[in-house]
Amino acid sequence: MSYAKNWLAVGGLIALLGLGGCQELTDDLTPDGGDQRPAVAAGSAGSQVSQLAPSFTALDSLGATHTLAAELASVDGVVLYFTMWCPTCDSHMSHIRSTLMSDFPNVTFMIVDYVTGSVSASRAAQLANGYASFTVLADVDHALLNAFDGGMGVTVVIDSSGLVQLNEDYKDGSKVRTTLEALP
Amino acid sequence: MKFVVPKAALLMGAAVLFSPITQAASCCGGGSASTLVLPKFSSAMVDVSFDIEQYDGFWNNSGHHNSDPPGSDLSQYRLNVGYAHRLASRWQASVIMPYVWNDNQYSGLSTSSDGLGDTKLNLWYEAFDGVTCVWKVRKPADLKPAAYFGTTLTVPTGVSPYDEVDSSFDTTGLGFYRLDGTMFLEKTIYPWNASLLLSYGKYLERAVNREYGKYVAPYDKNLGDRRLVTVSAGYTVFLDSMNTVTYTLALSDLNEDEATINGRVDETSGLKKRSAALTAAYSTMDRDWVFKATWSHALDRDGWGENFPTTDVLTLGVSHVLR
Repeated sequence: MSYAKNWLAVGGLIALLGLGGCQELTDDLTPDGGDQRPAVAAGSAGSQVSQLAPSFTALDSLGATHTLAAELASVDGVVLYFTMWCPTCDSHMSHIRSTLMSDFPNVTFMIVDYVTGSVSASRAAQLANGYASFTVLADVDHALLNAFDGGMGVTVVIDSSGLVQLNEDYKDGSKVRTTLEALP
Repeated sequence: MKFVVPKAALLMGAAVLFSPITQAASCCGGGSASTLVLPKFSSAMVDVSFDIEQYDGFWNNSGHHNSDPPGSDLSQYRLNVGYAHRLASRWQASVIMPYVWNDNQYSGLSTSSDGLGDTKLNLWYEAFDGVTCVWKVRKPADLKPAAYFGTTLTVPTGVSPYDEVDSSFDTTGLGFYRLDGTMFLEKTIYPWNASLLLSYGKYLERAVNREYGKYVAPYDKNLGDRRLVTVSAGYTVFLDSMNTVTYTLALSDLNEDEATINGRVDETSGLKKRSAALTAAYSTMDRDWVFKATWSHALDRDGWGENFPTTDVLTLGVSHVLR
């Protein structure tokens, strides 16, 4: 057996696999850390930071109606957290409950459930996962998901004037805290 | 519209290492399953397997088991193609490439996606020269196990949450490079065999500027160090044809430390999972062909995992050893 030839073959295979051919499939191989957020006009309508949040009307898991305008009328801000009742979501929601809600009593925290498909199923999932005290919006028709470009773990902070102050993954919650602390 | 498959993404990082060490006396020519340990005195091996993974709730970060929402049916399928090649008498290398299908049904939405998963490149050193499998222990040297020391580089060829994805359901990988160091000990005293696998992995920090297709303020992220322990015990039945069937029971314990965001610990991350796997491997007399079926089960009980999906995995595979 020609070991040198074998090493060469393996090296070629690695190069083919990874570093050349897959470049078109994914950019995880060479991540780009540049800020590529699209520029938006402050105060324009939209779900990105500095934009005026889209208004919404949604049912919670108990059947009560919530509108963004009504929620913002009496608080410093509203936090929307998009959940699909998964491990990461549970970890985030638990973190919100234990570290944020008590520190920001004048902020309304609402969970957006976009997977269960009905008000009753949303309530069942809420109870099964131990979040009975939360306000859970049953986003049955995905109106909130679409309006806020949501998804698992996406956290949206809207200040009392209706401007979006944050719209990204919850991660460790520190950026949500910073944003809430800076609310006007 | 942004959909996600967080469980799929989580699982891709564990898929290969969770698979039990289904050795059919690899040092003697039986080949293996996911580890792709090439038998001694063989030049190459091709391994193809298919995983059918069914989700059954998850453990939260306190270790409490939660069910999936009513009406959920979440599955992932993986076709794993592997090739191992002998480089020298004590050295071998292998590559495993998975192709992943996600199929998720919730009451409120239904999605499916597929794509290449994360690729694993392995390099193994065998700390022995002869066959270590014995029929009887006649002297202390007969107790010497086959010892392998290896390293695995996980290459993020899958589609991750940080990738350019039209839909977040496209995720088939974790998005991070990881380097694992592994020690694998195996001993066969026919008809019994046992093995121990210890593995420690470190991810490489990466820049993130996009989450599920949406550009965000850039930050640096790293996942926590990963530790895996797998022990197994097996029994080989010799058929009249001298073909064999080896039954193996494996127990695995996986821990991953908390991730960091810009160097700061993310308390909402980290994971633990324990699982058990039962494998039946049918080998031809010359051990050139091995057909395997593995059922890996995670107990949906409190305390058997943290921050991770609970799943059952059925794996069907075949290995062909080239002499």
